[in-house]
Amino acid sequence: MSLYLVTILTNMTLISFIAISAYLILIVGEVSFGQQAFFGIGAYVTATSTALLGLDLVIALFFAFIVSASFALVLSFLTVRLSGLYFAVASLCFAELLRLSLYKVEYTVETNSGTIGPNGPEGFQNIRWIFENNISPENFLIIALSSLLALILFLIFMESSKLFKNARLVGKDQIVAQSIGIKPFVYRVSFITLAGGVAGFGGGLFALFNTYIEPSMFGIMLGVHGLAYSIIGGLGYPLGPLLGVFIDIGLLESVRFLSEYRMILFGGLVAAILIIFPEGIISPRLVSRIKRNLVKKTNA
Amino acid sequence: MEYIQISIDGILYGSSYSLIALGFSLVFGVMRRINLAYGSSLLLGIAAALWVENKLNFSIIFFIPTVLIFCSLSNLYVERVCFAPHNTKAGVVVSMISSFAIWMQLDEISAQLLPDRTHSFPSLEVSTFEFGELFFRGDQILNIFIAFIISAILFLAVYKTKYGIILRAVSNSADTAKLMGCNTNLVNSLTFIVAGVIGGIAAFLVLSTESQVTPLFGFWCTLKGLVAMMIGGLGSLVGAFWGGLLLGLLEAHLSYQFGPVFREITTFSILLIVLIIRPGGLMGVNIYKDLKSRDERI
Repeated sequence: MSLYLVTILTNMTLISFIAISAYLILIVGEVSFGQQAFFGIGAYVTATSTALLGLDLVIALFFAFIVSASFALVLSFLTVRLSGLYFAVASLCFAELLRLSLYKVEYTVETNSGTIGPNGPEGFQNIRWIFENNISPENFLIIALSSLLALILFLIFMESSKLFKNARLVGKDQIVAQSIGIKPFVYRVSFITLAGGVAGFGGGLFALFNTYIEPSMFGIMLGVHGLAYSIIGGLGYPLGPLLGVFIDIGLLESVRFLSEYRMILFGGLVAAILIIFPEGIISPRLVSRIKRNLVKKTNA
Repeated sequence: MEYIQISIDGILYGSSYSLIALGFSLVFGVMRRINLAYGSSLLLGIAAALWVENKLNFSIIFFIPTVLIFCSLSNLYVERVCFAPHNTKAGVVVSMISSFAIWMQLDEISAQLLPDRTHSFPSLEVSTFEFGELFFRGDQILNIFIAFIISAILFLAVYKTKYGIILRAVSNSADTAKLMGCNTNLVNSLTFIVAGVIGGIAAFLVLSTESQVTPLFGFWCTLKGLVAMMIGGLGSLVGAFWGGLLLGLLEAHLSYQFGPVFREITTFSILLIVLIIRPGGLMGVNIYKDLKSRDERI
C-alpha cells in the first residue's frame, strides 16, 4: 500500500473514534458539541505518559481513557439538569474551556532529541514513541484498526443487551423509560462518561500517529464533524458512524481534483442526505425492518 | 476613571453583539430552532455585496441595500435547505446539524468570493469625540443607538401588530396556527428574511467599525450571537439586547485584568455558569418553574 493510502485510512480510523463517541451520546438522546476536547485530553495524556514518563502503549492509552472519561463525568454532573439544545451548548462551552486551558499548560524537558512536553500555544512536540519502537505506518494502521474493530464488535455485541435497549428507550422517551423503572440519570451519566473515554482513546492514538499536537487542533470543527458523521450514518447500528466517515473522507478524497470546492460539496451533500434520510442512512427503523425480515425468513 | 473608560468601551463594543443576537433570537423565538449558519449567511451576504461592488464600483448608498438583499437571500436559502424539510418535532437536532453543514458550505463560498485573507470594508466616517476625560467612538454610539431602535421596533411589531400575533401563534404552536389558517411555511420564510435584514444591518455596522472583513467573521458572529442570546434569555428580544451589552462589559473588564486569552475564556465561562445556574437565561423564562416551557424544552 502506498503511504498516502495508509495515512488516509489511519485518519479515517482515528476520526471514527470521535464519531462513535458522538454516537454513544446520541443514543441516550443528547447532542454533544464537545467530544473534540476529550479527544484532545486523551492526546495530551498519552503524549505525556509515553514521551515524558516512558510508559507502555497499553498503559498510556488506558490512562487516556480514564482521564478523559473522568472529565466527561464532570461534564455530565454539571449538566445534569440540561437537555437538548442546552446540553449541546453547555458541552461546547466545557470543551472550549478545556481547550483554552491547554494553552496555559507548560512543562517542558530538554532531551538530546529536542524539547519535549506541552508548551502552551506551541503545542506538544517530539512525541517519538512511533520511532523509538520502530513502528511502520502500516503497523500503526493495524494497531488503530484492530482497536476500532474491537470497539465496534463490543458495541455490536452490546446492542442486543438490556443495557443498550434501555439506553435507547431513554433517548427516545424519558417519561416512558421512567414509568417502567429505568433511571435516565444513570444511563445518561454512564453513556456520556463512556463516550468521553472512547474519544480520549482515539485521541491517544492520534497523538502517537501525528507526533505533534497543539490545542488549536481540537477546535469545534473536529467535534462537529464527528457529530455530523454519526448523524448522516444513522443511529440504528454501530456501523453508522463508520459509514458517515467513509462518505466524507473516503468519497471526497477520491475526487481530489475538486479539493478547492470540497467543503461546498460536503456541506451540500450532508444537507441533501439529511433531507432524503432524516434519521441517517442506517436508521433505527431500517435496522428493525431488516431484523423483522430476517426473522420471517428463518420462520418460513 | 480608567474603569469607567473600560466600561464604556465594553458596553459600546457589546452593542455589536446585541445586534447579532437580535436576529438569532427572532429565529429562535419563532421556530424554536438554532440556526448555526446565521453568521456565515451574513458573511456570504457581505462577500457577495463586496464582489458586486468590486465589479460595478458603486457608492455606499447603493452598497447598503445590496448587503441587505444578499443577506436575506442567503438566509432564505438556509431556511429552504435546512429548516423547511425538517419541520417535525424530531427534526430539531437534524436541522441544527444540517445548518452546520450549510455553515461550512457558505463559509467556503465566501472564501472563494473574497480570496484575500483580509478585505477592506467601507466605513462610515463618524469622528471620535471626548467628554471630559472619556473618549467615545462615534460609530459605536451609532451602533448602540441602532441596536436599541431595532429591538424597540421588533418588540412593537411582535407584540402590537396583527403580523406579530400570527408570528407568536406560529411560535406557540405551529400545528394549531396551521389549523387556524396561517401559512406557517410563509411565516417561517418571512422570519428568516427579516432576520437576514436585521443581520445585514448588524454585519454592516460591525464591519464598518472594524473597517475590514476576514473569513472568520461568520464564526465570530455565530459564536458571539449565540452566547449573547443565551445569556440574555432564549427567544427573548429584550434579553438579547441586554445580554450583548453585558457580555461586552464583562469581556472588556476581564481581558483588561487578565490578558487577551481571557476574552474567549470569559465568553465560555459566563455561558457555562448561566446554563448551569439558570438555563433559561437571565431574562428568559425559568425553564424549571414554568411547566409549559419545560415541555417545550428541546
